[in-house]
Amino acid sequence: MTPARGLDPVTLGVVWGALQSIAVEIGTTVHKTAYSEQAREGQDFSVAVFDPQGRMVAQGPYSPGHMGAMSFAVKNALAAHPVESLRPGDAILLNDPLLGSGHLPDFFITQPAFHQGALVGFAVNILHHTDVGGQRPGSQGVEGIFDYFQEGLRIPPTKVWREYQEQDGIVGIIAANTRTPDKVLGDLRAQRSALRVGELRLQELAARYGRDVLLAAMDEIIARTEASMRAAIREIPDGVYRFEDFLDDFGPGTDPLRVAVAVTVAGDSMIVDYAGSSPQTASGMNSYINYTRSYSYAAVKCLTDPLGPMNEGALRPVTVTAPEGSFLNPRPPAGGGPRAIICYRTFESVLGALAPALPDRVAAAASHMANPTFGGRDRARKRPFVAYELVLSGTGARATRDGCEAMSWAFNASNIPVEAQEANQPLIVERFELIGDSAGAGRFRGGCGIRRDLRFLADEGKLTNLSDRQKFAPYGLGGGKPGKLGRTVINPGPSERIVHGKQSREFGYDDVISFQQSGAGGYGDPLERDPQRVLEDVLDDYVSIEAARRDYGVVITGAAPALTVDERATRELRKRP
Amino acid sequence: MPYRVGFDVGGTFTDFVLQSPSGDLLTAKRLTTYPDPSEACLAGLDDLLAQSAVSWSDVSQATHGTTLGSNIVIERKARGVGLLTTRGFRDVLIIGREKRYQVYDLQIEKPVPLIPRRFIGEVTERILADGTVRTELDEADARRAIRALAARGVTTLAICLLHAYLNPVHERRLAAIAAEVAPHVTVTLSHEVSPTFREYERTSTTVVNAYVMTAIRDYLRGLATAMTGRGYRGRLFVMQSSGGIATAEAMQRYPVRMIESGPAAGALMAAAYGELTGHRDLIAFDMGGTTAKLALIEAGRPATTTAFELHRVNNAPGSGLPMNIQAIDLVEIGAGGGSIARARLGVVAVGPESASSTPGPVCYDRGGVEPTVTDADVVLGYINPDYFAGGSITLRPGAAARAIEERIGRPLGLSLEDAAWGIHTIVNTNMELATRVVSIERGRDPRDLTLVAFGGSGPVHGCRLAQALGIPRVILPAAAGVTAAIGLLAAEVKFDVARTYVRRLDGLDPAAVDAMYGEMAAQATEVVRESAVAGEVALVRSADARYVGQGYELTVPVPGGRLDADALVRVRASFDEVYAARYGYANPAEPVEIVTWKLSAVGGAPRIALAKAATRSVGESRKGTRRAYFPETRGYVDTPVYDRYALAAGTSLSGPAIVEERESTTVLPPGLTAAVDEYANLIAETGRR
Repeated sequence: MTPARGLDPVTLGVVWGALQSIAVEIGTTVHKTAYSEQAREGQDFSVAVFDPQGRMVAQGPYSPGHMGAMSFAVKNALAAHPVESLRPGDAILLNDPLLGSGHLPDFFITQPAFHQGALVGFAVNILHHTDVGGQRPGSQGVEGIFDYFQEGLRIPPTKVWREYQEQDGIVGIIAANTRTPDKVLGDLRAQRSALRVGELRLQELAARYGRDVLLAAMDEIIARTEASMRAAIREIPDGVYRFEDFLDDFGPGTDPLRVAVAVTVAGDSMIVDYAGSSPQTASGMNSYINYTRSYSYAAVKCLTDPLGPMNEGALRPVTVTAPEGSFLNPRPPAGGGPRAIICYRTFESVLGALAPALPDRVAAAASHMANPTFGGRDRARKRPFVAYELVLSGTGARATRDGCEAMSWAFNASNIPVEAQEANQPLIVERFELIGDSAGAGRFRGGCGIRRDLRFLADEGKLTNLSDRQKFAPYGLGGGKPGKLGRTVINPGPSERIVHGKQSREFGYDDVISFQQSGAGGYGDPLERDPQRVLEDVLDDYVSIEAARRDYGVVITGAAPALTVDERATRELRKRP
Repeated sequence: MPYRVGFDVGGTFTDFVLQSPSGDLLTAKRLTTYPDPSEACLAGLDDLLAQSAVSWSDVSQATHGTTLGSNIVIERKARGVGLLTTRGFRDVLIIGREKRYQVYDLQIEKPVPLIPRRFIGEVTERILADGTVRTELDEADARRAIRALAARGVTTLAICLLHAYLNPVHERRLAAIAAEVAPHVTVTLSHEVSPTFREYERTSTTVVNAYVMTAIRDYLRGLATAMTGRGYRGRLFVMQSSGGIATAEAMQRYPVRMIESGPAAGALMAAAYGELTGHRDLIAFDMGGTTAKLALIEAGRPATTTAFELHRVNNAPGSGLPMNIQAIDLVEIGAGGGSIARARLGVVAVGPESASSTPGPVCYDRGGVEPTVTDADVVLGYINPDYFAGGSITLRPGAAARAIEERIGRPLGLSLEDAAWGIHTIVNTNMELATRVVSIERGRDPRDLTLVAFGGSGPVHGCRLAQALGIPRVILPAAAGVTAAIGLLAAEVKFDVARTYVRRLDGLDPAAVDAMYGEMAAQATEVVRESAVAGEVALVRSADARYVGQGYELTVPVPGGRLDADALVRVRASFDEVYAARYGYANPAEPVEIVTWKLSAVGGAPRIALAKAATRSVGESRKGTRRAYFPETRGYVDTPVYDRYALAAGTSLSGPAIVEERESTTVLPPGLTAAVDEYANLIAETGRR
């Protein structure tokens, strides 16, 4: 490809690398300066650099869910505050579910960067705030929600800083509408610092190479990325690929939610359409279109050009549609607080649809995460609290390898270290471990489910549970078995009580809430798994001797730790029809 | 000043340098020995001393650099290493932090944990986030757990309990119980190795420490004993990943600190050469037999990191094993003289597999059959077969040519020289990508930087690498082939201690911190003093601070002398200042807390007196000519060959030219010029920019 005028390959390379590293630096700044556990430990935020036309040119390696939405959110912010109205140091905040990424806790902020009076781009970030008010602590309730007015404070595109000055009125309203003002204001400061760093770096880049070269490079980056994405799509055989899967339900006593997808591959472009999916719900369980787009883009990206750059160019060849009024494209004011739980299913439905065409690139379904929130009164510290947890687990098996143990899936985040969580919240983590015999069997097995038990030293406890794959197991591929279902219980043991995956309920002082996540799906016939690998799994306690026999047809003898495969018995057993 | 020696073990070569009392440097190189690299170390040192008629007893200081630690981890070589955790948390190492290091790549793998689940035990105990004991250690349970691991063959045990960085009582008790029920088991405790919060990162650091401990202890003890047996009366020093040196004894308890010992010395020395030649923004390019290492040096200082990761996948952050240690930030790739070239998918592919020293490149004639980068460099006429490693190894160009022809040329339909040039140029491309990681991907324009090319193969490839990236200038240091070993002699003796003691600055009792700093100073000074460092030991204090409520800290200086309220006000002010510089805004209304208090004891840095080049040529500098291949000349041309040691300061050369020295060869491609500076460094200009 011939570079644009004034752009030699080295300059283009440097500018590209610099834009990417600006995105990374914006992200690192949020990460290192944030206050809340979900932002500074869980890394539930995203960052990007946009060009003056409002096109994403570089993104940081964070949550893809924010990424696809970001492109639209910035356009919506600029529609309300046109470029001509922006001054250096202005920043536009929005959290409207339709205009942003589908739920109120996500604060998008867009800040322009000017060089010698001319716009050279935008620094953008989005962060999941701990609480923005509404019915449930953490603002992610499923039950008892019928519109977003119950989910907290809604902010249309608004200048939160003007010429570097914080707008006290707006920030004051935000502080007054959250259960956790210290964390929300601290995280808002982290977003502000990060955007300032991004703005400075963009200005330095413009000063170094000139605005014209910078803008030409941005064009070139988007054009080359689009070309590379189109080339990758062209390699997929044309056709319409369909898949369906179900979310357990949208609260206790409700029906499953159907995700139906048709992926049309035509030449160098793709359409992902969710016609046939369930209608929107009178609960928090709705995924606004930007969020549905995000994970559809992410899935396509994974299957086409996973290591290529991610910017506007990578989105262009893909169109995502869902019928208006479906739970994947609801009409306002539908609730959407807990929509993170939906993303695995949209993502996996695209993978499932394309599995026949791309069997070597897909993976079986992952263990499902839990994303519960808690509120109440911290007895020792004598103050209210809101806590957030992210129980991630293993990923699905691939055509030639096992799934990963303990690895985030579509929703890319980190767990919160036990020592970090306990330092600030009235809870004690009692276990954090893999669940034996939970992984879907296969020639390659899935990752295990994870169990995390939390003991609360709090009064007036309120749990907003958010989990899935407690009724519909993570699917296997190519003869691989599904993973074991997950569950949530209070006070595990003889007197344990099951908690519905999307239930809102009270809990008492010293209660233990146990999140036991599903196992991930396997790939290929389990009877074809190498018996030595089954033995290794038994020695390491991932698979029991009984399950080795039952699920893999492998007979293991001896007394631990001196176990061996009984080759003859295994051959006999595996002959079984 | 008495004699000092430095020796640096690489994958293929071990480099040596002897500094005489007058400051003269004598250097040498020999093949690394396997499985015991100390054989080559001792033989090389014996030779070097014999050559100068110096006895071991005249040597006052010996400093060692080695990548033994990282090799053990990367190759997952250690056996019998176990882990003991708080009950309910045996999977801490396997679970990690769970973030995807490549967001969209569904085929990624996590690093294989150093300890399989079957060697991980749990004990009943619990300490809380305020350091109080919630559940006493169940000693019967502990005995059972330790016995069970020992019965499974565990001989080194890492112990990492929750919140032990605040209250180590249970870790200490477990160490005592282990000593009683399994006295043969070596124990390493997380609160000693890495007293910081976040259990995964602390466990990972502790486990790496345990993982390399036995091998490093045996190796260092063996080496020290052998040296003492030869009459050496000093201590054995080891380079740490941070760039400071410490005694071998100190490293035996904290071997994780020397995990990347070798490469640090090279980066330090590159910075020193930059300083000498007036170029402070550099890329250090160290290409040896097995790998190439690249580090960015800005304003004369190598970039360091406290979030070091070992064995990353394609350099992706988050893909390696995290370690809470201070380390020079570098990128290492499998590209060296010994990197094997193969015809793969119809193209030439080079590395990361290496022929290392055994069997070595085909031209070594030691059993190697697969052609390597060095074989290509010999065929291209760049390397003198009769003067490799100063003539200590005679190369066989015919064998190299046959191997390249058979395995690369014929399968791909290329002539011999095209195949050899292909190998040379592909390895350059691989290194170009790594160079981009440390410059372009960090937004640093290589056209503003200077390349320092060293290591045995660095000067052969350095000018081509600079050309590809538009780097205007290449420094080829005197004794380029053993630069890292010289760096060992230039490093200062340094020992770091840190304590986690979380307190808000506005409610802090300065006297308590003062007392703590007193203990820390005594501990660190003792280690440095043990190193027989005469003269002043400088104490540098700093603290990791954050706004209350945040999770990560910034390091700020803590003034010396007695700590009083005024000093704390200064710490607060400098925190706001450092914070604003880094993150755009300070928040002066927010309270600040200190998490970790740190102290470094630093012995005086020995000055390396680099020999100056003669101002007039000593003898004939031009040795003759050799046929060498350059695409610019459309094939082989007679190329002048110079003797590096005979080049006078001020001499100018223009490419194509070859400059030979004992441990390396500089190739100056057509169109480039180079000049010899007063320190005998060659400074090449690529004519770019």
